Amino acid sequence: MSVQVPASISAETVEEISAQRDEPDWLLEHRLTALSALDGLDLPDVIQTPGRRWTNLEALDFEQLVDPLNQSDETERVDAEGASVLSFVEALDTHEELVREHFGSIVDPEENYLTALSAALFTTGTVIYVPEGVDAEDITIRAEMNSRSLFSQTLVITEKSSSATILESIETGTAVTDDRFFSNIVEVVAGENSYVQFGSLQNLDEETYHVTLKRAVTDTYATANWIEGNIGSRLTRSDVETKLNGDGSETKIVGAFFGHNDQHLDVNARVWHRAEHTTADLVTRGVLDDVARSVYEGVQDVGEGAWNTSSYQRENTLMLSDESEADASPKLIIKNHDTEASHSATVGQVDQEDLLYMMSRAIDFQTARNMLVEGFFVPVFEEIDVDAFREDLSDLVIARLN
Amino acid sequence: MSSEEHLKQTDTEARFEFKKEEASAFKTEKGLTEETVRVISDDKDEPEWMLQRRLRALKHFQNMPMPTDWPEIPDLSEVDVAEIVPYIRPDIDVRGGVDDWTDLPEDIKDTFDKLGIPEAEKNALSGVGAQYESEIVYQNMQEQWEEKGVIFCDMDKAVRDHEEIVKEYFMTKCVPPSDNKFAALHGAIWSGGSFVYVPEDTTVEMPIQAYFRMNSEGMGQFEHTLIIAEKGSEVHYIEGCSAPKYSAFNLHSGGVEVFVKENAHVQYSTVQNWSKSTYNLNTKRAIVEKNGRMEWISGSMGSKATMLYPASILKGRGASDNHITIAFAGEGQNIDTGAKVYHNAPETKSTIESKSISKDGGRTNYRGLVHIADGAYDSSTAVECDALMFDNESISDTMPYMEINESRVDVAHEATVGKIGDEDIFYLQSRGLDDDDAKQMIVSGFIEPLTEELPIEYAVELNRLVELEMEGSLG
Repeated sequence: MSVQVPASISAETVEEISAQRDEPDWLLEHRLTALSALDGLDLPDVIQTPGRRWTNLEALDFEQLVDPLNQSDETERVDAEGASVLSFVEALDTHEELVREHFGSIVDPEENYLTALSAALFTTGTVIYVPEGVDAEDITIRAEMNSRSLFSQTLVITEKSSSATILESIETGTAVTDDRFFSNIVEVVAGENSYVQFGSLQNLDEETYHVTLKRAVTDTYATANWIEGNIGSRLTRSDVETKLNGDGSETKIVGAFFGHNDQHLDVNARVWHRAEHTTADLVTRGVLDDVARSVYEGVQDVGEGAWNTSSYQRENTLMLSDESEADASPKLIIKNHDTEASHSATVGQVDQEDLLYMMSRAIDFQTARNMLVEGFFVPVFEEIDVDAFREDLSDLVIARLN
Repeated sequence: MSSEEHLKQTDTEARFEFKKEEASAFKTEKGLTEETVRVISDDKDEPEWMLQRRLRALKHFQNMPMPTDWPEIPDLSEVDVAEIVPYIRPDIDVRGGVDDWTDLPEDIKDTFDKLGIPEAEKNALSGVGAQYESEIVYQNMQEQWEEKGVIFCDMDKAVRDHEEIVKEYFMTKCVPPSDNKFAALHGAIWSGGSFVYVPEDTTVEMPIQAYFRMNSEGMGQFEHTLIIAEKGSEVHYIEGCSAPKYSAFNLHSGGVEVFVKENAHVQYSTVQNWSKSTYNLNTKRAIVEKNGRMEWISGSMGSKATMLYPASILKGRGASDNHITIAFAGEGQNIDTGAKVYHNAPETKSTIESKSISKDGGRTNYRGLVHIADGAYDSSTAVECDALMFDNESISDTMPYMEINESRVDVAHEATVGKIGDEDIFYLQSRGLDDDDAKQMIVSGFIEPLTEELPIEYAVELNRLVELEMEGSLG
């Protein structure tokens, strides 16, 4: 269903944002087109089963949440030799043509209401460009959100045979009263035979509504790996996706979440196999405590031309509290028979026998349980290339357990 | 003659695809209005409360939209109720079915002979009901079960003879007409079907069977099955169905309600072989009390499009459910089937095993929902879906949904999709089997979990159907 355009947004608002940043005309045009499309667009799909709507995005009050002219953030970027890691504004100065070519090519602003809203109003974001043959390690982006609403657009371009490992972390800086809204859109253009790992760690405070759409498109032999950690926010809607468009390309989508209090985490991982000999591995692990709720959808879509596909998906949820709820739907859509695909999903508690064993070795209940929860996340930790990221995620998990 | 020989002697094509002249004693006009409903009810000489229930259901049907918002839903745009004949009473003298096959008109008797029903009755069944068009034409059960108080009769007769029970259970607690559009349609114009009542602590040792045959072009069949298994009882109900193929579509929209009381055990097996011009849109549901056990065994071979998700509501502590479903979609078929289980009490258990095969452009989909309610602690569910694809025109989808509101549970879902293994075929060929036989053997092995749940006659029958589906079509 389409959503009302907040009264606080008009063409003047968008023009003002664009003018403040001294943007080229084409970008203003891009913003205005997105704005005018807003009216007819729907919120992203959520799963509905008899008597249950898994996530209620309609309840978001954009009128109240969106304050377009007062967006503020503090972002630190650490670059790597040979690669450009720039704020969006800087990138327009030095790499305008590149940005113009790729921006919006992976995530169409008119895909849904949220993507259009972001394209019209974004004020922050990063452009990462890795030229041919360059290996860029440990690129980090640490962002703090300091306003009621913030829209961020990030673009990653890896040229032929290059590689990049990127860590993005998002936190709340100066606290603003009332509910907040953070939107994060990431586009990855993975060139031929390139390798990208994009890790994102979200630990916003629990008055922030967080929506994110991260999508990569792979060229021949390219690899796009995602790591998506969601610890904070009041409500998260996260879509992490890869389109395997090049023959022999690969993706891994690794997700971790840990919800407590009344957090609602709607986490989605999707892969489209659209070329031959492609491989996908989707691994998500989540823990729920208190009255937190998780929603998971995983989609493996194998197209007609996707010969010799391998596609795997696993999702495991651990429930620490009896009041928590977990919904899961791992989907397979297969149109090519030359496919090896599997998926699995489980929901359960901390293993009672493991717990008993540890307690019989004189470890108290709390410590034993915490060790098991940490251990539960190990398969996710192991996937992370950036050491700092692994430590950060592990610290957040431990902090939440205590 | 054993039934296996019988099967061999009868040409499979001729067994299902033959047509008979339409010979009806009474037939409604095409389409659906309040008048149609009144006419059907009047022809059946029903009590007023049943007419009222039908009319209420009709209102629901008229007010509900066609389901369209499901992901990847089969195309139902052709299904226009105004185009079907909802009610055809075949030309027989005895309402509620004769109990001797020789009393049936020759063409109807011949139909069921060809389908092998009288033969099966002699060998493997406690009772048989046979429906032709909209009415049951044959109904019989061995005397020993009648003496024990088991009731197996056609649904119309049950409305007259067991009015109080039917009034209590018919589309009230299990499948209300408001459940979905086709349940509402069913509630308005249902006709025929079986009523099964098994008294406390009675075990019906051999299965009872109902067979549903649609003969006329462009008709709809809407039989209603109501099974009540009292405390500690046990029964196995088998349902078979088929129709010849026509250019116009046929619609089958059955309703099945099963009540599994404390410690009772019901197995409901279906081998569905509707023609490829039939839309099969069914609602089947069981309510399972304390320590009761419900088993749904379904083989979906026929139909143009099937949407069927047998459901179990595990209402009492310790209740359990077991689903085994096989879907086989060939050219032009869209078989969208699965399972639905609600765990509403502690220590409930469900297992779902789904196997699907798609070939020649057919599409299969497993669509299933497992819901574990808050408080249903120590419950467990295991869902396993395996799909086999023959070629690249076919589609295989898997869409499970899990809703877990309780932490002390064990939930597992697993699915695999693959093509038929070249190595397996190579091995079998090296042992002297040709390509077709090798593939057929692999498929038979793949569906074995289903066939081993059925009495041998039906297992053989099912294997023959699979053979028929695969004949000459393998590349």
